[in-house]
Amino acid sequence: MSTIWQSLELLVTKGLPTTVLLTLGLLGAGLALGFPIAFLQVYGYRPFRWLCRGYEQLFRGIPALVLILIFHSGLARSFGILLPAFTSALIALGLRSSAYQSQIFRGAIQSVPQGQMMAARALGMSKLQAIRSIILPQALRLSIPPWTNEFSSVLKDTSLASAIGVLELTKQGTLIFTRIQFVKGVNYILVILILVALVYLVLTYMGNAGLALLERRLRIPGFEMKGKVER
Amino acid sequence: MKKALLAVLLTGLFAVSGLAQVYDVASDTTWPPFEWADAEGNLLGFDLDVMRCIAVLQGFEINIISYDWDIIFDDVGIGRADIGASGATITDERELKVDFSAPYWTSDQAVLIRADSGLNIVTALSGGYTVGAQIETTGAGFVQGLLDDGVDVILQEYTLYPLAVLDLINGNIDAVIQDEPASQASATAEADLTVAGVIKTNENFGFFVAEGDPEGLLPLLNDGVDQLKALGAYDNLVRAYMGTDLTKVEAAWKASIGFLEEGDVVGFALNLATLANQ
Amino acid sequence: MNEQHPSRSDGAILRVEGLHKSYGDNHVLRGVSMQMRRGETVVVIGPSGTGKSTLLRCINQLSVPDRGRVWLGDREITCKKQNINCLRAEIGFVFQNFNLFTHLTALANVRIGPMKVKGLKKAAATELAMDELARVGLSDKADAYPAELSGGQQQRVSIARALAMSPQLMLFDEPTSALDPELIGEVLDVMVSLAKEGMTMLVVSHEMGFARSVSDSIIFMEGGVILEQGPPEEFFTAPKEERTRVFLSKITELYGE
Repeated sequence: MSTIWQSLELLVTKGLPTTVLLTLGLLGAGLALGFPIAFLQVYGYRPFRWLCRGYEQLFRGIPALVLILIFHSGLARSFGILLPAFTSALIALGLRSSAYQSQIFRGAIQSVPQGQMMAARALGMSKLQAIRSIILPQALRLSIPPWTNEFSSVLKDTSLASAIGVLELTKQGTLIFTRIQFVKGVNYILVILILVALVYLVLTYMGNAGLALLERRLRIPGFEMKGKVER
Repeated sequence: MKKALLAVLLTGLFAVSGLAQVYDVASDTTWPPFEWADAEGNLLGFDLDVMRCIAVLQGFEINIISYDWDIIFDDVGIGRADIGASGATITDERELKVDFSAPYWTSDQAVLIRADSGLNIVTALSGGYTVGAQIETTGAGFVQGLLDDGVDVILQEYTLYPLAVLDLINGNIDAVIQDEPASQASATAEADLTVAGVIKTNENFGFFVAEGDPEGLLPLLNDGVDQLKALGAYDNLVRAYMGTDLTKVEAAWKASIGFLEEGDVVGFALNLATLANQ
Repeated sequence: MNEQHPSRSDGAILRVEGLHKSYGDNHVLRGVSMQMRRGETVVVIGPSGTGKSTLLRCINQLSVPDRGRVWLGDREITCKKQNINCLRAEIGFVFQNFNLFTHLTALANVRIGPMKVKGLKKAAATELAMDELARVGLSDKADAYPAELSGGQQQRVSIARALAMSPQLMLFDEPTSALDPELIGEVLDVMVSLAKEGMTMLVVSHEMGFARSVSDSIIFMEGGVILEQGPPEEFFTAPKEERTRVFLSKITELYGE
């Protein structure tokens, strides 16, 4: 039993921080890139729109693991660009997430009624002002529920970073259960795997709860679904 | 001895002044007794402790990184990590990517089977059975060689050695081929498994660095091993790790690592060997 | 195009010359010309699909006309060199569907224009916005979000939002069409008092009562052109065009007197 606790402690102290850091980094990078891309895709001049569409299609169409290997091994072999494993994973998965997030934001922007932009322009706001003060705040609120989904998916994608040696939760779990195979009379590989799964579950739950809280804090009458079906 | 003392002194000086060079050491830490992570996450094993001792003697510091076996030669080859210490057999193919140190260990391959399977080393490798091996290991290469010669055998490759053993226990495959110490360690840990036999391959293990050794590390590594042997520490490390119980070595390591932190290579190896064999 | 160049001395606050606008194959405006004096209220009526709303949108360039020119005072709105945002700030626009900013309270809806467009400080803008809300009788709803307001209240807030910019001209695009019948009155009341205060208003509406009692002039549009224009008493009692008579009889059937 004490070894199981020890394993959990090891997962939490040595694997978890990297997983959390990578998740936050990916969400941040995805946000920083995905948001402007979404705006360019909706409001940009035609060449920008094509460019953004190409970008989004490209990074949504390549498996995450292949992207990671391209940035980690491919670039190094062909151009001598030596990125640390964490950085490779951050860039590869960050680009992937930015493509997905851009679609979340694009959908949200496009679901803000046209009349909002029209009313803003009629007041004399420039397009940029209207986007910033009218469209953006509404689109952001509409983005939270689908973004919660992206959070869960990004969190679990971080486990792919173990393939290039990032010591995060999954890799730490692997180290633990490979060791116990060499320990006499001990065989609880399943327990270790369940522990790893549990840590991911708790993380997902906490993240979702936090985002739900944010959604409630930002809630505005008229933004939620109206007319609840009661039976 | 004088040289060692001087090295220790220098190491101390460098450590204090913060001038010591730090090298990243890549290791697939899922391979007892050469390298693994204990229950607290400490990385230990024969390779890693030899490397730690060399670092003390040569006055540099090391930072051990857990690597996946299938990218370790690539990454050291292109310089992402400085040194590879991972029970790696010196082969011509690998020489294309990395430069090896002088051999520090000679190993043979051993075939692991379920004790109740009724197989022996000959039938296991030629009776149409499935043999597991870690990808890109000399063991996998050996079975591939049999296949090329038309022998009736099926090769199943794994990214991690312990996953092959797990499949063997679960009955998904019939045998696992791996370096002898690792196979012995598995047989020791799992009562259901036994070593069917040893194939004398006489493979040489070497530490490895990027091709052309741009950082000039190989002389330091070779000299370090020679010094360890001269000091008797090398033999003690062998005694500590080979054929001993895993948890016992882990406890011994925790009790001994203090010596190394003090720069006492000889005391560390002696203490480790003594405690591990009690 | 040059034959109708306006002089600066004719005193028109709004002047529209030969507007044409097509959406694809649909030729919505087929040469509309009109003008308004300061303080006038003009009501535009006509069957749906005749380009009334398009006319309003072409005036403040929410829709860009294919041909024709529009002046606000002596500045040409249709001139590409004019800063359209500055001109729009001087033209209030009230939409059929209110188009209040859904994420902002009534107060913030009214305040945002003066703050973002005119650069007023928040305190000054708040004071101004509260005055405008009082003007439409909604001081007590300052903190309500649009979804918490009735249609009539929303439209009054949207009028206050336009007024807060101190416009020279107000355009109303069927301001009561989306409202339940019992809510129309409160919006019309606000518009009546605005007209009395001397606001220049161009109103597209089917409210014949409002048109008859408040307007200085009525424009009848059909098929993308102005068929007839005249003061209400003349227009309702002795329309010159047959089409106007037909329309008026239909509208009377629908809406009563």
